[in-house]
Amino acid sequence: MSSTVYHDFQYASPSHQAETAAVGMWLFLATEVLFFGGLLLSWIYARHFNQLGFDAGAHETKLWIGTLNTGILITSSFVYALGLAFIRVGNVRRLIQCCVVTLLLGLVFLALKFGLEWRNDFANHLFPAASDFKIIGAAQGGAKLFFLFYFIATGLHGVHMLVGVGLLLWIIWRAQRRQFCALYHTPVHAVGLYWSFVDIVWLTLYPLIYLVGSR
Amino acid sequence: MNASVLTTGTVVENSQIEGSYLTDGYTIRSWLLTTDHKRIALLYLGAITIFFFIGGIAAALVRFNLIVPEGLLGSAEAYNRLFTMHGVVMVWFFLVPAVPVTLGNFLIPLMLGARDLAFPRLNLFSWYLFMLGGAVTLWALFAGGLDTGWTFYTPLSTMYSNSHVVLAAVGIFISGFSSIATGLNFIVSIHRLRAPGMTWYRMPVFLWSLYSLSVLLVLATPVLAITLLLLVMERVFHVGVFDPAIGGDPLLFQHLFWFYSHPAVYMMILPGFGVVSEIIPAFSRKRIFGYKFVVWASVSIAVISFFVWGHHMFVAGISLYSAVLFSILSYLVAVPSAIKIFNWLGTMHKGYIHFDAPMLYALGFIGLFTIGGLTGLWVAALAADVHLTQTYFVVAHFHYIMVGGMVSAFFGGLHFWWPKITGRMYPEMWARIAALIMFIGFNLTFFPQFILGYLGMPRRYYAYSPDFQVLNVLSSAGATILAAAYLLPLGYLLWSLMYGERAPANPWGATGLEWQTSSPPPTVNFIETPVVTEAPYNYPRPESIAKQHV
Amino acid sequence: MSAQIWPLLRCWLLLLLLGGIEIALSYLPLGRALRPLLMIPAGLMIIAVAVGFMEIRRGSVLMRAFALGALFWLLILLGLGSADPLTRTDYPVSGVQVK
Repeated sequence: MSSTVYHDFQYASPSHQAETAAVGMWLFLATEVLFFGGLLLSWIYARHFNQLGFDAGAHETKLWIGTLNTGILITSSFVYALGLAFIRVGNVRRLIQCCVVTLLLGLVFLALKFGLEWRNDFANHLFPAASDFKIIGAAQGGAKLFFLFYFIATGLHGVHMLVGVGLLLWIIWRAQRRQFCALYHTPVHAVGLYWSFVDIVWLTLYPLIYLVGSR
Repeated sequence: MNASVLTTGTVVENSQIEGSYLTDGYTIRSWLLTTDHKRIALLYLGAITIFFFIGGIAAALVRFNLIVPEGLLGSAEAYNRLFTMHGVVMVWFFLVPAVPVTLGNFLIPLMLGARDLAFPRLNLFSWYLFMLGGAVTLWALFAGGLDTGWTFYTPLSTMYSNSHVVLAAVGIFISGFSSIATGLNFIVSIHRLRAPGMTWYRMPVFLWSLYSLSVLLVLATPVLAITLLLLVMERVFHVGVFDPAIGGDPLLFQHLFWFYSHPAVYMMILPGFGVVSEIIPAFSRKRIFGYKFVVWASVSIAVISFFVWGHHMFVAGISLYSAVLFSILSYLVAVPSAIKIFNWLGTMHKGYIHFDAPMLYALGFIGLFTIGGLTGLWVAALAADVHLTQTYFVVAHFHYIMVGGMVSAFFGGLHFWWPKITGRMYPEMWARIAALIMFIGFNLTFFPQFILGYLGMPRRYYAYSPDFQVLNVLSSAGATILAAAYLLPLGYLLWSLMYGERAPANPWGATGLEWQTSSPPPTVNFIETPVVTEAPYNYPRPESIAKQHV
Repeated sequence: MSAQIWPLLRCWLLLLLLGGIEIALSYLPLGRALRPLLMIPAGLMIIAVAVGFMEIRRGSVLMRAFALGALFWLLILLGLGSADPLTRTDYPVSGVQVK
């Protein structure tokens, strides 16, 4: 890693550019808030008009998987933030280690969510478009709405996690090529913001899916 | 009097096409892989011109159909697909992008005194997203189109329509990300890349307008994205959150859709306000009247526009209480728009007015936008809206704003900055003629529609009661004149690229950093970063001009 | 280096604690209408992530403005968007089979 840090010609200095990148990422995250916000509005409508069925659907969720996944994501945010702290003092080796742990935690999350939980839900006839949907009677409509929200929200969250996994791999790849140092690690910061944000989305979805429905 | 001082280097008076961004690379690669905001602006300009003509052809066929009461096309289905195509293409692929991606992309760094936008590669990516979204949408439209209207209301779009809903929704979804990327780039650039000395209150109004627009782009478009996603899910899986059969709510779709689409109409007009705010001071040789009112009006419009979407749903079944709330808020949003009109008039008052083509377009904007805006207040009144909604009154209202306002502003801006962008002057007399023809054609097309709506003719109907025929024929006749007015600039602007007079750096004697660099600018925009020391629109006092000017 | 690690560790522990509280609260017999209050501990956890891991307080005013702006507009979407369903009068419909 050379000791010269460059900046693009429309910027006055490297720090000008670095801070601008962080600003840009925060603005992008603001757009994501509104993206998931529309989904939250649909949760509000669905539950408001179908409380009984909605909660009947919530009853079918697996609290232990959701809770474990919440712990995993919180820890992954912690570990990545640790990695960022390390590269700020120039410790590339620790950065890579932290990113790898974050990556593994993320993969475990995805495995639990899609490999275990979703598979379980399909096996239990909880996919709302299925003709043999598990809950019947007056509560069926609300339960279907619940599971629509569940699958779409966790699906979209999963897509964002996958993008995060890709970004982590990119950071690891660049770090191994010694492209980061104490003076320059803007992508590490930006990806960290994204990863923590995906964590925040999960922290919002978790209670809406696993806790609010009457237990 | 210049609004900036270049520390070194000279203001180049003669056109410098040979040393400019236009000649900095001749290969296709240098255009398709450019990160130069000016070239990207031209890439966009080509694209939106094509979309404008596609949307225009659809409109022409719509008006053609409406010449006789039974509908000349003979098919309700075809008619539905045509007005949908017109709406989809015009809204998402012309009006929302037009000024921001062409004039905005080109001018923002220049007006800021910067060398490029904050994220140039994101800028190029946004063009590719736009093209991809456009290609997918056009594929949907030419494969048979869709019949839901540009508004995609459920359950027609999710359950019953037998048309290319998913494909069109995917195309629009993709293009939405282009909008978000553009808005993000603009906001960050305006915050972070201002030249030394350029405080917020020294920025031209155009920048404030584009900033306000960008806030709308980044905050509203994601809601459209999730809405389209939910719509596609419901259509594909035959079950969804909008489906009343399982307790879903079709009005949820409308709430989500209009949460985006109402700010979207302000996305379309705010840049127009910005363009007019640049043209009027330049052609009145006078600083803008009430600068702070104008700029804060733009910001307030952007903010309040998020609070009024329910006014599209007054008769859809929303609660009376929320309808009243939305109606009151809609009246509130009209106030800042009206303030601007007075600011423009105040600018012209005792100014030294030149009736060049950009000014003619701007003056047309003021008149037509005022009519469009005022009629918006009529439909924002609950009791009146019960009668006027879904009639031609609403159609005329929004076309007065979108076409009379926005398209006029776009053409005005295109002409105003044409010398800067191309290094050529356009033929002034032809431009003035086109502007006048546009004004006449526009009013002939759309004024009868106010009357038609008032008399009760519903919108989106392929056939109508014979009582309405005369007004419809007038409207269709106007449309042909309007079409001619749009073709004229295509002709003479293209002509000017080869034979137009070479343009100096500042042909209009206007203020603004963009005029302090050559026409067209070099790739780096400024040889030396400008330093701003004075307020914008620093024209000499009118009294001193009257004595000097011959 | 440990000066940087401790705040992060504390934040992590706080999050686990808040998560535990959130789950514990969910076992309380709150009525259906009150259940959404469980979002309050979730909100606190979100703030903890934003402050502790995303370092929003260390960032510039602009970043905070974007974050607060996003929150404000989210509240408008959810709040003004809920105004309609919360104030609608549901007229009973007879003779309709709801599945």
